[in-house]
Amino acid sequence: MIKNFFDKAKNSHTWKENLVNLTTQLLNYLIILIIALFIGAVVMFLSGKDPIAAYAALWQGAFGNGYRFADTLDRSVIMILAGIAGSIAFRTNITNLGLEGQLYIGAFAAAWAGFTFTNLPAIVHIPLCMIAGIIGGALWTLPVLYLKMRWKIPELVPTLMLNYIAIRLTDYLIAFPFRDPAAPMAGSPLIAATAKLPKLIKGSTINIGFIIAIVLIFVTYWFLFKTKIGYELRMVGLNQDFAAAAGLPVKRSIFLAMTLSGGVIGLGGALMIQGFFGRFLGGFSSGYGWDGFMIAIIAQNHPFAVFPTALFYGALANGALTMQSVTGVPQAVVAMVKGTLVLFVTVKVFVENIRKGLRKWAM
Amino acid sequence: MSEALSVKNITKAFPGVLANDNISLSVEKGTIRAIVGENGAGKTTLMNVIYGLYQPDSGQIFINGEEVTFSSPRDAIAQGIGMVHQHFKLVPSYTLAQNIALGVEPRKGIFIDELALNKSVKAIADKYGFQINEREVTADVSVGEQQRAEILKALYRGVEILVLDEPTAVLTDIETKELFVMLRNLVEQGITILFISHKLREVLEISDDISVMRAGKLVGTVKCEETDECQLAEMMVGRETIGGRMRETKQKGELIMEIEGLSVLDNRDLTAVKDASLNLYSGEIVGGAGVDGNGQEEFVEALLGLRPLTSGKIRIDGKEIQELSTREIREAGVAYIPSDRYRSGVAVEGTIWENMVPGEYYVKPYSNGLALAMPEIMMMSGTLIQKFNVATPGLDAKTGNLSGGNIQRVIAARELGLEKAKVVIASQPTRGIDIAGTEAIRQMLIDYANRGAAVFVISADLDEILSLSDRVVVFYEGNVLDAGYYDETIRQRISWLMTSGKDYCVD
Repeated sequence: MIKNFFDKAKNSHTWKENLVNLTTQLLNYLIILIIALFIGAVVMFLSGKDPIAAYAALWQGAFGNGYRFADTLDRSVIMILAGIAGSIAFRTNITNLGLEGQLYIGAFAAAWAGFTFTNLPAIVHIPLCMIAGIIGGALWTLPVLYLKMRWKIPELVPTLMLNYIAIRLTDYLIAFPFRDPAAPMAGSPLIAATAKLPKLIKGSTINIGFIIAIVLIFVTYWFLFKTKIGYELRMVGLNQDFAAAAGLPVKRSIFLAMTLSGGVIGLGGALMIQGFFGRFLGGFSSGYGWDGFMIAIIAQNHPFAVFPTALFYGALANGALTMQSVTGVPQAVVAMVKGTLVLFVTVKVFVENIRKGLRKWAM
Repeated sequence: MSEALSVKNITKAFPGVLANDNISLSVEKGTIRAIVGENGAGKTTLMNVIYGLYQPDSGQIFINGEEVTFSSPRDAIAQGIGMVHQHFKLVPSYTLAQNIALGVEPRKGIFIDELALNKSVKAIADKYGFQINEREVTADVSVGEQQRAEILKALYRGVEILVLDEPTAVLTDIETKELFVMLRNLVEQGITILFISHKLREVLEISDDISVMRAGKLVGTVKCEETDECQLAEMMVGRETIGGRMRETKQKGELIMEIEGLSVLDNRDLTAVKDASLNLYSGEIVGGAGVDGNGQEEFVEALLGLRPLTSGKIRIDGKEIQELSTREIREAGVAYIPSDRYRSGVAVEGTIWENMVPGEYYVKPYSNGLALAMPEIMMMSGTLIQKFNVATPGLDAKTGNLSGGNIQRVIAARELGLEKAKVVIASQPTRGIDIAGTEAIRQMLIDYANRGAAVFVISADLDEILSLSDRVVVFYEGNVLDAGYYDETIRQRISWLMTSGKDYCVD
């Protein structure tokens, strides 16, 4: 009898069913993507531009040739890390609105480790800067955790406010104590060559940061779904009262999820400094923390879905410049497309719901 | 005197329950009528019918002798009936005056005339002798004042019949006294009041007439001065047990869990449990009876380490556990079936297996160090799910898609299946579950006690208590009172204890 049950249990989730589920999900996102691009096109058309030419230029800029494609992949590294950072917090039912600030602190910590130590071999210096980034991002969540655990203050406002403090604090650090007068704009000294990430392809900015991001996707999946601690995080996220009554370590899970989220985005900051900028620059992030928040929402907090979403975001970021310079369509259109996408995903304009809606409407 | 409100032959059925069975009663103008009865006796259903929230399956409602039909509370208010619910329906950020006049504010053009609004609210409050600071923000005032605002909200709309659903449940003793003074004031000005309550002492203090309901039927109506707590308690619970007894009383074994002088606060920092003591023995089922909200929830949460104690000791096998974490308490051998299965029994968005292993996932063989050992987890969950007859398409199915009864079976399988627990604390284990599921869950608890565990079943359903328990305690205003061992007179003792806190009646 038990054997029968297991056969039944196995059969209920056959590969066929999984394939149908996956296809439906992909179809969902395809429809939403088309709607978002269409709305962007309508706006461009109404303002007298040619949407097809604009999207063609966008595509050219993002995927036009091998180098462009490699640059797009490089752009998506920070998107992947930001998306994963957002996902880990969301999975534990924590709304970490402070990714942007944690990114700045992590990036600065990595830059500091990069320009302060000069006599280290690369094999030590590179990971040292990354660890500095992780610690920086994680530390920046501690005030929020203290307020949340000691005084039961929801993390929403404190995380948000700490963004501004982080940005202004790093502005101050590069304007006074760590100012490099030789920098073209307000910035820290250059990091040592031994802290820079090795490039993967000549002629593109893509570097080993991309490989780290890909590995991190698999590690996060394993961590969330296959480990004890990941189980705790997810159960606390699904229902904190249930987790508490069952004896799960609720406080530890919240602490861990928050610091991990900050650590991952801090690592993202380190990778940007070590792989792209080479020094900490004031205002270097064009809202990557916020992108990560959105990517996590669109990917529904699944690490495997973070990858295509982040790649799409990277392509938009990379292609938007080309689009603007070739066709004169402002980059803001891209922000609009992204916004529409998030909107439709959050209100779940999904095939199954549309079908339900139609049925109701027909009745 | 004239008749303000009467209902004739009201019947209202819900799937599986006849909540109101052919009820007729009439209330005279300017009197206070109390409606008493156990949980689920049908009081609130009757009030909701009178207030237009439910439409009766059959029967008529008369106001001042004229027949009326309501399709919504709006109609009821228009006919002069107002209701104050147990849980207030006020906007916390509005002032009391704004809440009282919500939707019927005096206007100046398209704007609300705040001055006239405050004035009109003040006038109504003065007319009925209500102490109220109408300009205070609702969230900042006491529960008693919020309740006054709720009552004024009805009066502001010109109602003449007020329905109060357990108005004293949320009040302190002093606030209750103040409320009663105000209610008397209202009655003198011609308002008629219907008052739902469990607390016989208060009912005897405030009402003119008392109607008693039991299992959907009106047992009778008595004049307040012609009755006493004993008669009312007997009318409320009756003499016969419905459903029958499932358990043979057993000889108890050795002491397993000792609770000594336990005191606990509720979420508002008021005392919820006062100096309660209880011993649980191997092989014995102890029933915890009592009307909801008399400290049961807080008591159980304290036992599980989910709520801090203000004083007291809890021991399992002689070892103190009151300082331990929930996990350590559970490892010491405590199984827990929470009263609200959706809030703290399961994660409805989680899969079946995820809901089966929160007590085991971190120990061998269900984990190898860092990672979960999925084959062992699946094998264990699958075996227990089948043993406890959970109807589910598979272990990866979403738990929230199961019926309430099946979710309760999942919880029972998780808590009892591995037979590790020495103490089982089951709170409202069959609430909202169909008959087959109810019997199955009760049988599981009996079997578990027969294997030598101490079982503590808390239930607001007296029939459940009587069908399972060897011994009964009653929760009454935060006290845990001993009703003794099961015998033919226990029903009376429980009913006296749960309605008056006394275990004897002097006629």
